Amino acid sequence: MKFTCSQKKFLESILTVQSAVSTRSNIPALEGILIETENDVLKLVGSNLNLSIESHTSATIQKEGSIVVPARLLTEIVRKLPDAEFEFTVLANNNVKITCLNSIVTLQCFSADEYPALPDIAESQPIEINKTLLIDMIRQTTFAVAVDEARPILTGALLEIDGKDVAMVCLDGYRLALRRGVMDTPHDSVRVIIPGKSLGEIAKILPEDDRKVSITISERHVLFDLGYTRIISRVLEGEYINYSQIIPEDYKTRVKVDTRILTSSMERASLIAREGKNNLIRLNIQDQKMLITSNSEVGQVYEEVPILLEGEELEIAFNARYFMEMLKVIDDPEICLDFTTNVSPCVVRPINDHHYTHLLLPVRIYS
Amino acid sequence: MNRKERIILHIDVNSAFLSFEAVHRLQHGATVDVRKIPSAVAGSQATRHGIILAKSLPAKAYGVKTGEASWEAKQKCPGIVLIPPDYPLYMCCHRALVRLLKDYSDKVQVFSIDECFMEAPGMLMKEESIRFAHRIREHVRQELGFTVSVGVSTNKLLAKMGSELKKPDAVSTLFPPEVGKKMWPLPVEDLYGVGRAAAAKLHRYEIHTIGDLAETDVKLLSYLFKSYSRDHGQMLWEYAHGVERSDIMTSGPPTKSIGNSCTVHFDVEDRETAHAVLLSLAETVGMRLRLANLCGRVIGVSIRKSGDLVTYSHQVKIQSSIDCTDAIYEYCRRLFDAAWKGEPIRGLGVWVNDLSSSGYIQLSALEKDWDEKKKVDRTVDAIRAKYGPFSIVRGNFVQSGLAPLAGGAGGDAGFPVMTSIL
Repeated sequence: MKFTCSQKKFLESILTVQSAVSTRSNIPALEGILIETENDVLKLVGSNLNLSIESHTSATIQKEGSIVVPARLLTEIVRKLPDAEFEFTVLANNNVKITCLNSIVTLQCFSADEYPALPDIAESQPIEINKTLLIDMIRQTTFAVAVDEARPILTGALLEIDGKDVAMVCLDGYRLALRRGVMDTPHDSVRVIIPGKSLGEIAKILPEDDRKVSITISERHVLFDLGYTRIISRVLEGEYINYSQIIPEDYKTRVKVDTRILTSSMERASLIAREGKNNLIRLNIQDQKMLITSNSEVGQVYEEVPILLEGEELEIAFNARYFMEMLKVIDDPEICLDFTTNVSPCVVRPINDHHYTHLLLPVRIYS
Repeated sequence: MNRKERIILHIDVNSAFLSFEAVHRLQHGATVDVRKIPSAVAGSQATRHGIILAKSLPAKAYGVKTGEASWEAKQKCPGIVLIPPDYPLYMCCHRALVRLLKDYSDKVQVFSIDECFMEAPGMLMKEESIRFAHRIREHVRQELGFTVSVGVSTNKLLAKMGSELKKPDAVSTLFPPEVGKKMWPLPVEDLYGVGRAAAAKLHRYEIHTIGDLAETDVKLLSYLFKSYSRDHGQMLWEYAHGVERSDIMTSGPPTKSIGNSCTVHFDVEDRETAHAVLLSLAETVGMRLRLANLCGRVIGVSIRKSGDLVTYSHQVKIQSSIDCTDAIYEYCRRLFDAAWKGEPIRGLGVWVNDLSSSGYIQLSALEKDWDEKKKVDRTVDAIRAKYGPFSIVRGNFVQSGLAPLAGGAGGDAGFPVMTSIL
């Protein structure tokens, strides 16, 4: 195997696939990056079996072949090479020689035979989705996936497609985030649960342009095809929780509030709350205004936020972190908070946009 | 030592359970001091808790050992008087001792039911500290009727090692300059922090006395004990040199886990009975959690097999922290059903950890809210606090032959509140 490639392009490809490379694996080859010639392009692969990323880059291929190069070393070496063309040659015994201007590096590598085969995704009709919509869906929901493995299924996000409607849902029991959207091209109804971690990596790789991502779902895997980059993630098997059941339809207290004003008040209250053990903020909802208070050993905060109240006054407490994480992903200028009692879920939605729903469970306080 | 220093005392009750018992009996008109005849406090054989918990000096002369079965003790010493344990009495004596010590200093650390550390107020000269220790020893004997050994030094480790030097009713100093003479000749297993496994390990390296340990390369010790904790080897080496720096902790360390287990007085062979035992343990664990204003989100169950006495366990992490008896029981029942392989059971255990304050509970959309049951718990706790633990019990325990509250230091006496205080 022998090729020449620009340091810049090659490094870009390495950095794309690197986030999927195992840091520690029973299969040593998985700690490497698979480099393969494919006609007149170069294919790089990083994988930890749960998530695999393939990136393609142009190169001048002199001799076909494949090799697995230790990922961490390769990244560091290529990063430090001068911005020029370099030559990559596989020698005998899986040794690799990298020549760039006046530098020559040789590396002990693995045979490509030791690299596990990537899953085959059966050809089926792909889902075409707008890239910005996909990024928004991931950004606005995946922070709410469960972090512990008490219910493994909840460490994933549910992606639901029905005709032109698409929805992504994450919930950990304490909160639920639901983002709906509309696609340009309809697709058959389908449901898949994708690990939150995989989606996080995908969002990092997706460049912000107007192109479409095509998603193919098979029984065990899901493929995100961006053209030059392909991402394959394992899916979580099992039944997702019937989330629509959890979202209450009625309310007794409805608060309309300016998102920016609420966010800055909450940020100040959080500063003090997070010094305490329970990271608690209290809301006292009255006519025309909502009082936000927090206190801990280091001090206290009192905030008054102007609101429009519909229904009953209410006192309720929340984990400040959960509240802030929700506010951070809402882009709309005005939101509406619906409450029933101070021990039942609060539903938050932008006023003019029902594509986003967030559900937040309060903290019960015993005196 | 000819300047003033911070002085730490370790106060250790001599043959604690037996002494408490003896004093109690004498106060109630007994003519025989059980400390002066072959006697021992032992769990009841009928309910299979039959081991020696404490022994008198005359019993010791017959070779009776703490921890051996009562029947073994009886073989060695046929006339031995066996006394059933009375945990409420011991707690009562314990509290009286702590109260007395707190009259001398506000820095008193309860270390166990029969041991306390205290820091003498102000700085003292060596002679002053010995007089101070004698005053306490004398006061305890006269007011409470039992005797203590007092260790005097400048840190907790040496004070504790010091109180072991002479028993009963004695004061011993073990100041840093005396370590070489008084502590180094002792066998290494006498050093606080050296357990049975550590001792065996040290013996393999020809480290037999505390002095041997002090002379060992600290790097070797760090290597030998790397699996224990980060600095265990270093710590043992420092201990062997009499170096220890912790302060007197007037409030206990934060509780990490609350659990209770019990031995059942017959082999449990059916699910329903096992569930009932779990419920009685959940009662105790729940009550202790609520007493400490804690709740937890990891619930565990352990099962001790009857044949080989091997214990296995199963635990689960749940969404919202709980302290409710019914909630704990519900999870325990599920855990037990998932784990039990059907063999006869000698004992069961229940624990709750990953604890947090129970004043605030993050609600979850996926878990039951136990609020209604918690109101029942609060009422039951209040009744028990006022009228005793058995003033109100669940109907299913009536005539079941099972204790309605199981586990705790008062396994026999069924007094569950005890262990939460220590």
